[in-house]
Amino acid sequence: MLSEKTVRDVLTAAVSTGAGFAELFAENNSKNNIGITNGIVERANSGTNRGCGIRIINKERVIYVYTNNMTYNNLIRIAREGAAAVKGDTKHDIIVFNRLDSGNAHPIISMPDTIEKKKIIDFLMRGHSRASAYDSLITQTGLSYLDSVQDVLIANTEGLWAEDRRVRTRISVSAVASNESEKQTGYFGPGALQGFEFCENTDIEAIAEEASRCAVTMLKADNCPSGKMPVVMDNGFGGVIFHEACGHGLEAAAISKKASVFTDKLGEKIASEKVTAIDDGTIPNMWGSINIDDEGTPSRKNVLIEKGILKSYMTDRYNGGIIGMAPTGNSRRESYKLVPVSRMTNTYIAAGTDKKEDIIANTEYGLYAKYMGGGSVNPASGDFNFAVNEAYIIRNGKICEPVRGATLIGKGSVVLKNIDMVSDNVALAEGMCGASSGSIPVCVGQPMLRVQNITVGGRG
Amino acid sequence: MDIKALKDRLFERAKKEGFESCEIYYQSGSSFNVCVYKGNIEKYQSSENGGFCFRGLYKGNIGYYFSEDTDIDADKVVKSAKENAEAITIKDKEFIYGGDKEYPHVNVYNAALEDITAERKIQTALDIEKYAKEYDNRITVNKSMVASGDSYVYICNTEGLEVSERTNQILAYVEVMAEDKGDTKEKGEIWLGNDMNCFEPKKLSETACNKALSALGAESIKSGKMKTVIKNETFADIFQCFVGNFYAENVQKGFSLLKDKLGTDIASPVVSVKDDPLMEGGYMTTAFDSEGVASYKKTVVENGVLKTYLYNLKSANVDGVRSTGNGFKGSFRTAVGTAPTNFYIEKGSKSLDDVIEAIDYGIYINDVAGLHSGTNSISGDFSLAAEGFLIEKGKITKPVAQITIAGNFYEVLKNIDTVCSDLKFNSSAVGSPTVCVKSLEISGK
Repeated sequence: MLSEKTVRDVLTAAVSTGAGFAELFAENNSKNNIGITNGIVERANSGTNRGCGIRIINKERVIYVYTNNMTYNNLIRIAREGAAAVKGDTKHDIIVFNRLDSGNAHPIISMPDTIEKKKIIDFLMRGHSRASAYDSLITQTGLSYLDSVQDVLIANTEGLWAEDRRVRTRISVSAVASNESEKQTGYFGPGALQGFEFCENTDIEAIAEEASRCAVTMLKADNCPSGKMPVVMDNGFGGVIFHEACGHGLEAAAISKKASVFTDKLGEKIASEKVTAIDDGTIPNMWGSINIDDEGTPSRKNVLIEKGILKSYMTDRYNGGIIGMAPTGNSRRESYKLVPVSRMTNTYIAAGTDKKEDIIANTEYGLYAKYMGGGSVNPASGDFNFAVNEAYIIRNGKICEPVRGATLIGKGSVVLKNIDMVSDNVALAEGMCGASSGSIPVCVGQPMLRVQNITVGGRG
Repeated sequence: MDIKALKDRLFERAKKEGFESCEIYYQSGSSFNVCVYKGNIEKYQSSENGGFCFRGLYKGNIGYYFSEDTDIDADKVVKSAKENAEAITIKDKEFIYGGDKEYPHVNVYNAALEDITAERKIQTALDIEKYAKEYDNRITVNKSMVASGDSYVYICNTEGLEVSERTNQILAYVEVMAEDKGDTKEKGEIWLGNDMNCFEPKKLSETACNKALSALGAESIKSGKMKTVIKNETFADIFQCFVGNFYAENVQKGFSLLKDKLGTDIASPVVSVKDDPLMEGGYMTTAFDSEGVASYKKTVVENGVLKTYLYNLKSANVDGVRSTGNGFKGSFRTAVGTAPTNFYIEKGSKSLDDVIEAIDYGIYINDVAGLHSGTNSISGDFSLAAEGFLIEKGKITKPVAQITIAGNFYEVLKNIDTVCSDLKFNSSAVGSPTVCVKSLEISGK
């Protein structure tokens, strides 16, 4: 992408005013997407993003400049522009690069650029056919495919030279069920750190049918009642609760500003002893996995909470430095346009010992959240909100009628302590997580679990 | 970088490849951004960025290819666009537009903004932080930011269109945390414009501090149906989630419940909605849309009656009407879709105080969270975490938090009984005055 000489000269220019550290991140990212609505191919777009960002750190000051004019002279010019915002006293030797060999734990079989568009369209059309045939109440279907091949080069003034290729494929299926006055949507968006083999190994018909079933079920459902009640969250995307309510609060960017309820809590009990939580970017070909993070630190498995005790935060170089923690391989960014910060990879609550059936059977009255939707959290207070895409009332230990429009609100720190049953069926689910360094692929996950008491918002 | 040379290379290659007509949409810009924290620069960013999208009509379909690399091989661009055109099976006709005779003049570039130095922007960010910190000892400042940017758009095609527009803007943002007796509240305030002389840093800081301080000690309340007043910018954020229902393309695809509703009541008679791309000082003011159609002001809802959808060339052709000039791209990378410009509910005559005074028991909502997940843009259902104040006997009494408000957008539109005089735009150019809704479902204790 860039020659060693160019990179060395640019980094040298970036620290020419005495900054302690500089880093270059260059990328080339080819993307394809195809969208099908009601069985018609409406969208086929492709293109290339490429550019280069230079980060200069001097003590607590961070300077970031980026461009997509990649000529030698322009890169030197912007490096000097950034350096002008620093007056430091660090002297650097001539940079000697050491190539990082992190290996590739995520083999790719079919590169996206070798796949004919027709093959992708045929694949999506199978999903459309199944989703629309499911029920006469299904009035619209939407399917999409996207792939992304991101090549990155990361080099810094400490001599790091790291390169990586991230190949990702994701599909989405949505089905809309409607009657005269209302519409409800079922949605799934699976993906992987894989090429077209992901599609070949995905049962799109089953996913499409499930999306339709969810939409039809919710269309026929009554409004969710409101009030405080026990909530049983199913596995997979149910893990979004941990991601939003706790995961973000364990990111060093929030900790370093003391803007998280989990600040200064290492070694303390922050959750029920039933809770062990892990962030693991090394799971082979998993959607949120990475060989190296966007600062060039190899990814690893980090235990965040062990039996309720806070064990670790997720760090990046800058915020980790402020709180005195080494990088944990969690520094990520959407593209060269953004400064990397501590983010999650594949984050999940580990398996417990309860049985799924027992959790339901032991709940006299409450809400069963089969599929969670998205949510958000305020890291300072830990206040969160989640939508529930498919929910049911539990009555006398049995799953009863479906209800729609439920939202869960609460405080992460409180909910963590209120988890009183955790089953053994861990599953992960794919999503995009948005924060200051952009939108990045992550997995959330958990086994089925029960929270004693959550405020449920609904219209019933 | 010579975009016209690139254009010539692409158009020539496209003609050889069998494209009937084609277009280049080029966008470039630069940005500057400084964040201060505890009196020091914490983040300092500057960038320049650009890219183009080539699209061309091939055998009745339009194929796209985008790139940030303007030195890219023309052959690769044109061949990829052709492959994309061949993949599409949609029958709706897309257009490469020859342009309008006349374009309105809009005031969207302020040359004086370019003379404001990095030092002055840094000082402004430091001032904002200082004002907020000094305002009250329960306040800490999480973020104080000043950012500026300019953007240039150039569209040229083989049908005779050639237009360009340069815009610039500056924004300031402060986020503060109020902390008292173990309770914390985080609130932010934003200012956006293109004239630094109109900006009052002290006012920005004070507004953010007041928001956070007044919310301290908030408690949940009992669940029930309540008369609900929703603050201007908060209702603008909620309104924005449902703007897509006004797009003709969503109506045509069956994704909008506004289908077959033209000329009928969709809102209370006190509600009128405009889309005004020519508004002086608007964040989305522009002389033309991404298809090169000249901008003009539209009445979307008049006294509760739906007057028009928002159209691009393709959806206008389907309905046999004129494009409303709402064919916009999210960025140069994406295909043309539909988007509003400065889209707002017109203001009424009452003040917020008048409205509150008339309420015996109700709630005033001034913040909601979870808009991206707690709203169903199609059904109109929403259930959102909310904060605000209790209204008792015509007065605001105590702060309220840890509640949700739930309802349905279409029902809310019909249940608005008062529209205040305090029209305010959010940073996405959707505007609303404070509104009073007859009844919403509040869920708390």
